[in-house]
Amino acid sequence: MTGNRFSEIICLSLGLLLLFSCKKEESNPKLFELLSPEQTGVTFENRLESTDSMNILEYLYFYNGGGVAAGDINNDGLVDLFFSGNQVPSKLYLNKGNLQFEDISESAGISEMGGWSNGVTFADVNGDGFLDLYVSQVSGYKGIEGKNRLWINQGNLTFKEKGEEYGVDFKGFGTHAAFLDYDRDGDLDLYLLNHGVKSPEVFTKSENRFIPYEGGDKLLKNLSAQGENRFEDATQESGIYSSILGFGLGVAVEDFNHDGWPDIYVSNDFTENDYLYLNQQDGTFKESLEDWIANTSRYSMGNDVADLNGDGLPEIFTTDMLPEDPEIWMKSVGEDKVEVYQIKKQFNYADQYVRNNLQLNQGQRGFSEISLYSGVYASDWSWSPLLWDMDNDGLVDIHITNGIVKRPNDLDFIQYSQEADPQMTLSELRKRQIEMLPSVKLPNYAFQNSGDLQFNSVAEEWGLDHPSYSNGSTFTDLDNDGDLELIINNLDQIAFIYQNHSEQTGNHFLRVNLSSSEFNAFGIGAEVTLFASGNKFRQRLNTSRGFQSGTSTTLVFGLGQIEKIDSIQVLWPEGEREIFGQSQTDTTLTLLKGTGKTIEENIGNQKPDYFPAINWVHAEKTEIRESDREYLLPRSYASEGPAIAVGDVNGDGLKDLYLGGAKGQSGEIHLQLPDGNFRKVDNPIFDQLAKAEDVNALFADMNGDGHLDLYVGSGGNEEQQGNLFLFDRIFFGDGTGAFRFSPNSLPPLGENTSVIAPTDVNQDGAIDLFIGASNVPGDYGAEPKSYLLINNGRGQFQEQTQTWFGENIPFGMVNDARWADLNGDGIEELVLVGEWQGVRVFTKNEDKYEEKTLAGLENSSGWIQSILVQDINRDGLLDILTGNLGLNSKLKASKEKPVILFHADFDQNTKAEPLIFHYMGEKLVPFVTRDDLIKQIPGIKKLHSSYQEYAKIQKPEDLFSKEVLEKAEVKKAVEFRSGAYLQKPDGSFEFVPFPWEQQLSPIVSMLWDEATKILYLGGNFSGYRVDLGKNNGQSISALKWSNGNWEPVQLEPTLSLQAEIRQIVAIEEQILAAMNDGPVFSVKVSKE
Amino acid sequence: MRIQRFIYILLFLGVAACQKPVDYSQVITDGQYLSEAQDRITEVIIHDIFSPPVAARIYSYASLAAYEVAAATDPSYESLLGQLKGSEKTSFQVPQDVYPPLASLAAYYHTGTALIFSEDMVNAHRDAAFEKLREKGIPDDVFDASVEFGKQVGDAILAYSKKDNYHESRSFPKYTVTNLPGTWEPTPPAYMEGIEPHWRTIRTYVIDSAAQFKVSPPPPFSTDPSSEFYKLAYGVYEAVNKANKEELDIAMFWDCNPYKMNVKGHVMFAEKKITPGGHWMSIAAIASKTANADWKKTAEAFALTGISLHDAFVACWDEKYRSILIRPETYINQYIDEEWVPVLQTPPFPEHTSGHSVASTAAAYTLTQLFGEDFHFVDSSEVNYGLPIREYDSFMEASAEAAISRFYGGIHYMPAIEEGVWQGKKVGELIWSRITTKPQNLAENK
Repeated sequence: MTGNRFSEIICLSLGLLLLFSCKKEESNPKLFELLSPEQTGVTFENRLESTDSMNILEYLYFYNGGGVAAGDINNDGLVDLFFSGNQVPSKLYLNKGNLQFEDISESAGISEMGGWSNGVTFADVNGDGFLDLYVSQVSGYKGIEGKNRLWINQGNLTFKEKGEEYGVDFKGFGTHAAFLDYDRDGDLDLYLLNHGVKSPEVFTKSENRFIPYEGGDKLLKNLSAQGENRFEDATQESGIYSSILGFGLGVAVEDFNHDGWPDIYVSNDFTENDYLYLNQQDGTFKESLEDWIANTSRYSMGNDVADLNGDGLPEIFTTDMLPEDPEIWMKSVGEDKVEVYQIKKQFNYADQYVRNNLQLNQGQRGFSEISLYSGVYASDWSWSPLLWDMDNDGLVDIHITNGIVKRPNDLDFIQYSQEADPQMTLSELRKRQIEMLPSVKLPNYAFQNSGDLQFNSVAEEWGLDHPSYSNGSTFTDLDNDGDLELIINNLDQIAFIYQNHSEQTGNHFLRVNLSSSEFNAFGIGAEVTLFASGNKFRQRLNTSRGFQSGTSTTLVFGLGQIEKIDSIQVLWPEGEREIFGQSQTDTTLTLLKGTGKTIEENIGNQKPDYFPAINWVHAEKTEIRESDREYLLPRSYASEGPAIAVGDVNGDGLKDLYLGGAKGQSGEIHLQLPDGNFRKVDNPIFDQLAKAEDVNALFADMNGDGHLDLYVGSGGNEEQQGNLFLFDRIFFGDGTGAFRFSPNSLPPLGENTSVIAPTDVNQDGAIDLFIGASNVPGDYGAEPKSYLLINNGRGQFQEQTQTWFGENIPFGMVNDARWADLNGDGIEELVLVGEWQGVRVFTKNEDKYEEKTLAGLENSSGWIQSILVQDINRDGLLDILTGNLGLNSKLKASKEKPVILFHADFDQNTKAEPLIFHYMGEKLVPFVTRDDLIKQIPGIKKLHSSYQEYAKIQKPEDLFSKEVLEKAEVKKAVEFRSGAYLQKPDGSFEFVPFPWEQQLSPIVSMLWDEATKILYLGGNFSGYRVDLGKNNGQSISALKWSNGNWEPVQLEPTLSLQAEIRQIVAIEEQILAAMNDGPVFSVKVSKE
Repeated sequence: MRIQRFIYILLFLGVAACQKPVDYSQVITDGQYLSEAQDRITEVIIHDIFSPPVAARIYSYASLAAYEVAAATDPSYESLLGQLKGSEKTSFQVPQDVYPPLASLAAYYHTGTALIFSEDMVNAHRDAAFEKLREKGIPDDVFDASVEFGKQVGDAILAYSKKDNYHESRSFPKYTVTNLPGTWEPTPPAYMEGIEPHWRTIRTYVIDSAAQFKVSPPPPFSTDPSSEFYKLAYGVYEAVNKANKEELDIAMFWDCNPYKMNVKGHVMFAEKKITPGGHWMSIAAIASKTANADWKKTAEAFALTGISLHDAFVACWDEKYRSILIRPETYINQYIDEEWVPVLQTPPFPEHTSGHSVASTAAAYTLTQLFGEDFHFVDSSEVNYGLPIREYDSFMEASAEAAISRFYGGIHYMPAIEEGVWQGKKVGELIWSRITTKPQNLAENK
């Protein structure tokens, strides 16, 4: 009885539990639902079999998989699907409605295709109003027969292959193709994306990209508009590269420079750059990548382009293979070692990093690469990125497929797997090698746009986290309910069809079909922009997207809470611009070309030329490679210049300049002329001292003769501490613009000088100086010597650091300093910042300076480059502005998850090493790779015999013993955002970070213009370790504090985003921005 | 119950006590155990990816330790400590019950293990060997004392090794590629940095300085097709393009590349073989076996070969980073044929002189002094790496073939081979003239 009761209860509970969980499931469905093959009838599976003759060692793209294209082939309003197969036949599925499909490959006639199919796309090639199908294939390789195929839609659910007839039956290694009307003659031309197979690992000079090769990329011009149903090869005359260097894995068509003409982006695997072809509007393209883009993915795979931030300009997303999981990351091939990177630079290849890249389109200024800021840089071995509004909330999200059946980038496999075995035949050996390649099946990634171009990883939350090896993907509204289904072609697994349940979110949408003239009936290449409630939603109709895949011809706009569209603008592929009026949402519109209101838009948007302000160009020269001396160094100190000082040296009431050059470049005095131009004053002493690298300079009357003298700080990080060429120098001015070297003015200060901060410490009327030093050459993390220099009134300085600050004050790695009376007591404090330290304040107490920790500055430690002390909010209290590393970096810091530096002689060979640890998820792991560490500390091999072992590190104690770590100097960074510490009446500070646009690069210099209350910010730094990467997301910008907020101030002319600004100074009305290894620009606030 | 057990124990002890002492003196006679230990060290050197100069250093100290036990326990051998640079004459107190060959083996394992990374791999091998020896009846007390003594000698050698500047040199600057015409630059497919740019600062055993035997510099760099340099490069190009099977076999046999990177698209894997030094240490083992050498003579051969190899590498590397010469692959790709690939993968350091030529010649010279000029041997060193055997009638014949193999392999110009052979011979001769393993007449010393 009792027993029965019990089991009854258990049954009941279980039942309830089941019921409950079922119910919960029902009441809380995820945004996406994976439909079963039974439900859909789609059973396509791209099965691969690795054989002796065909495998990853025989064909480098063996595991690249197939694509999927969406298109309504019979114009019944239901979008049909085509999946390409590598070893299995490709399949065409007819949409029967209700998300049910029928395999019509056989009856449609495409089952006879054969061959190894890769990319697929739909487009109406012959202008008959029916979508034709183009399939890229591999041919003539290891027994694979095939060629690119053009299947012409017969209008009755059958297709006929007419590739040869149309002249598009390319034979080679076809990856994908894209249709575009590049010459705006009304018909669709064809870009063929192809890949090589020959020794991608051998670097050849990049000029080889100019040498055409029959298997290279092609541009084929459609002659329909000229009356012929065929294409002719226009590759050469159009300026498209068609060389053996191209390993094309992605092609996107967009109007990147906003001139109304279609441009092309090509992502290339391996060493070759990606290509950004800008349409010259005359039938030719100009490859312009390096002018517009600072860095790209290295193993660029698929790509996609779309406007992510609603400014009407398309962003570019490329995928790569960086793992997110620290354990996989630490045992996978990462960035090129610095020596390899240098070789590629030597061959003139662009900067490329192993991570997804997100290029934010900033109009005329170029692109900012913001993947690290956006949080979308790592999604493992990735193929197809798609930029689309997944939840119809009006913000464009990102979906990325990933997975490789055999992971070739596993370092243990690379370094340690091959044991010699004389008994094995070569084919047995190869087979074993393939078997030994590790396999890891991971879910795909979904990134939800949370505004401000930041993204959250939501694959699990949205029900998209099924483990798979996924390749091509597409989105399309399969059930015509106004949201977009997701379809993915998998290897060795049935294709995924995810139904989108955004209809349950209450978000609004608009579906748009285009209908156009004879040849391009679906308006492929048209740009559609919706205007609603002050928002802009812009899409371009492309039927080639992501990786080897294509989307349908119906555009779906997610609109969030917007219920009404104010107007719709269409830029037709042929160049006509039409406005269509208001529209309701949650409906489907068909916009017919010629029925809208024609408008003209004047877009003369050529990239402007920049006119340097002064006839002087900084020429950086670095003869040593710092990483050879210090392999673990996180950043270079060799490119800190130029130095620039401003002052009226000849007493004519006009401000003059000192411009300090790099190693081997003389400093120059430029006197301002009444007309605002500058005249150089020759001075042989500057030539004689040219060997020193000038990194900062200051004009001040140091010898009390009433004329400005010059202090020049040396740096460059090439010489050892104490070296003659690191000595700072003082020159006395005679009031005419002439300067004389005063060698006895300074004690021998042989440091990398980072700042000269003048004040009168002992109140004797003569200017004293605090001289900050950034680092010890050859020993990053060690304490350089910063000095307090006391002036005897005659311009001779004596070091009195100890007298005023006490013994061995650890100033740390100082990057900038200011004297300012923070607390308003009439006595100036020394405020300094640097690397691994926050804002530090030294207050004068009788005749000594003491460090004081001010409330609100405790958690300011970062990699601070620059500082200003100003009352920005006009409350009578001085505020502190810090230019920090920013947020566009692999290193992320917070109080809870700091970045930590351990500095110690870990291997006890008398040379210390800097080891940086950072958090990845919950794990505190070394930033450098095992390989890098071994180069500096070979004993690591003994402690961690494999990469697998090394990858298990979750905290510093897993790398080195507690005893060893305890001996290390430990420094932390907890705040990398640049911003303002606003002083409150109680003397404490409150941090207000700069807007996100100012966090896209490190802020290296700042200028506050008191008259206009405008803050000028100079950024970018390309001297980080290769695995951190150059950080050139924002060159110069300006902000104004208004009503408790920073507001952007537009400057003109628009400087390239890639310029590395080191100094900003004001000369009368002009703002001068001096860049490293480049000219001095003049900018001003834009009148508009 | 308890008493019974006690009695059994007593009985057992009694039986054990009554056993006759085993004669274990013949448990180790020849150098087989030592050779097997060396094979293991070779495998670990390969696994851990030590470069050729570093590998030679490891072999030399480990072998020296094994030899010093022989010298300490047999008056017919002279200690090398005190003769080698930076070493001090050391009188080891040999405990009573030490079994010298075991102590020598223990010294080898102990020293070798300290110099490699994957200690577990060596320890497992050592434990297996020791277990086998124990089973052959070496009493525990003798065994322990011998191992202890071996360690003691090994520690002395390790203390000596610590002062050779190797440890400090791990933090010396990496080689900076200058991009000056004619200078070395990293080569495909791995584009590795220049290996050991400061190897000249490592202490030598015998030669006065790394630069004692300075070779003739390579001819002046030129890209002019009529220049001597171009002709040299063209010679390599032609040699590879026209290589016959025998030449290819020779090139492959002496490849001795400890780190050959294979790249197929995104797939990469390192295939590893013994280093040139490893190959010659193996020949020393084969020669010892062929000559029926006892364990002492084997240890002597190992030690002297190791010393010769080490000094050869220091001398060679000194020149490599003086002339910093461009590799044939780089030159040919730039000026003759962009797609040309050598037979062997170009190793990651400058061209002049050929390390294999210097090291092989020095080792061969030393082995000739030890085993005689006409010494036929079957070189099976590479069998484990899938290559056939080759036979030679003298060490110098083998070393000459090793030298020319680099030309057939497309990784060296001819002068690097000729000058390398000269340099190696000089190193060998000096070593043989300066140090000795034979006790000198006391009177002579005075």
